Amino acid sequence: MYGRFGYDYGYSDDSVTVGITPGKGFYCYSRTIAGGDSVQKRILSDAGRIIVNPVEPLNLPEEITNYLEIAFEPMIVEPFANKDVFLTFPVEIGIFVAAKKNIQVLDIFSLSPQKYSLYGPSSGGLITRWWHSEVFDAVPEVNHNILGIMQLTIENTTREWVELSRAVFEGYGMKIYYGGPVSMVARMKIMSPRLAETEFFDHSLVEGQKKALELYTARELHVVRRTCPMEWGMI
Amino acid sequence: MFNATEFLGSSIGSSGITWYDVLLLVAILALFTLIAQLITNRLRKSLEDKLPKNDLGILLKIIYFGIIGLGLVIGLPNIDLSGILLAGGIAGIVIGFASQSVVSNFISGLFLIVERPIKIGDNISVGDVIGSVEDIRILSTIVRTYDGIYVRLPNEQVFTSNITNYVANAARRFGYVVGIRYEDDADKAVSIIKKVIWEHPFALKNPGPSVFVDELGDNGVNIIIKIWAPSRVWWSVKTEMLWKIKVALEAEGIEIPFPQRTVWFPDGIRMQAGPSDEDSS
Repeated sequence: MYGRFGYDYGYSDDSVTVGITPGKGFYCYSRTIAGGDSVQKRILSDAGRIIVNPVEPLNLPEEITNYLEIAFEPMIVEPFANKDVFLTFPVEIGIFVAAKKNIQVLDIFSLSPQKYSLYGPSSGGLITRWWHSEVFDAVPEVNHNILGIMQLTIENTTREWVELSRAVFEGYGMKIYYGGPVSMVARMKIMSPRLAETEFFDHSLVEGQKKALELYTARELHVVRRTCPMEWGMI
Repeated sequence: MFNATEFLGSSIGSSGITWYDVLLLVAILALFTLIAQLITNRLRKSLEDKLPKNDLGILLKIIYFGIIGLGLVIGLPNIDLSGILLAGGIAGIVIGFASQSVVSNFISGLFLIVERPIKIGDNISVGDVIGSVEDIRILSTIVRTYDGIYVRLPNEQVFTSNITNYVANAARRFGYVVGIRYEDDADKAVSIIKKVIWEHPFALKNPGPSVFVDELGDNGVNIIIKIWAPSRVWWSVKTEMLWKIKVALEAEGIEIPFPQRTVWFPDGIRMQAGPSDEDSS
């Protein structure tokens, strides 16, 4: 499904049909999810490219937050540990149209269910896109149109055993790669039993992956390193 | 013959201010207003995707009035202020009394910007005005009611009133009471309602919803439903969920009870047929 195509792009499987058909003086983009919604848009353009890649899973059904929360079965981390685990995250697929050195979002859809949650108190807390993941010790086999894989390095900098069952990430700074699995590489640094920070690394999970276009960079002033503090605990 | 140079150099009254000073001040202010307009327009275009609307609005106002203030400072040194102060002493007192409410609104506006109990786009209630904040100006706050009506509230009124901000917190709770018949299975109804809530993306996972039997009412069993939703979308969630719950319950054979009353007659009921009933039989 993913890649860069001309205006003859088309993809279909059991769950989704996406494609562009030429019309009289314009192109027609259409997308239908089996048992779900459908979208049709007209593209008034002579020539251009269609870019299909996973985007930050924070846009559907509408964009209300910048934060992704991944919940998992509780883990106990030993003092000063530095361990890698693999989690899944929901994939949202962005369809972009590009021409004359400019890119426009055409459509965003997902085959994963959406659920939102509140991290922290209702006053001062964060609305998060909530996702529950199993914890894997190796890269799991998943449907790349539905699920992505996150390699999470858990770094316990404290002298204590720490229990955690969730991680919160900020959309600004997410680096998604595709081609093979849809992936992100992140770190969770535990500063105290109730405080941690998360950040993403700008590299692929496996060799040969391509970097996805990001939605959450153009909207934000440039900063060199972006971390997301988890101030309301990890359980 | 009219001599323009001589006129511009002539003093206005005994203040020592010449017409040239006034014209220069007006020209400088006009120029700086134009510059302020250009800069804020350019900044608005480049920052509108990068800053929250409220912060951008405040930043642009500070820049706009800052530039005009700079123009005022540059233009004023040519004017002898002592003359104005002397000449305008009595007028100043009169204007001071007259502008008391203006100053009060201005100061309240500054406090509103600093304390930030409301932001542009927030849904608020001030006194009997309920709506969305359109703008927070120096002297007044503009609210658009849910009927689309423009309401201008003086900042003093906003600042000294009880303000309810419906979206200040990230999430808020709303609720329903749903009645079912006595013969329906309440446990099943609760699990159906929880499933409907779970399937809605914006019915929050945490804090979780509360669904429980609250009352054995006159006509049926009342189930209380409390749902947390993001403040930005709570109204649309509220308007969607109730009908979905009703449809889901009815699909499983659980119905909303009608008001009913059972009346017992100790001697039974004796029916007396009327003439028309006899004719028809």
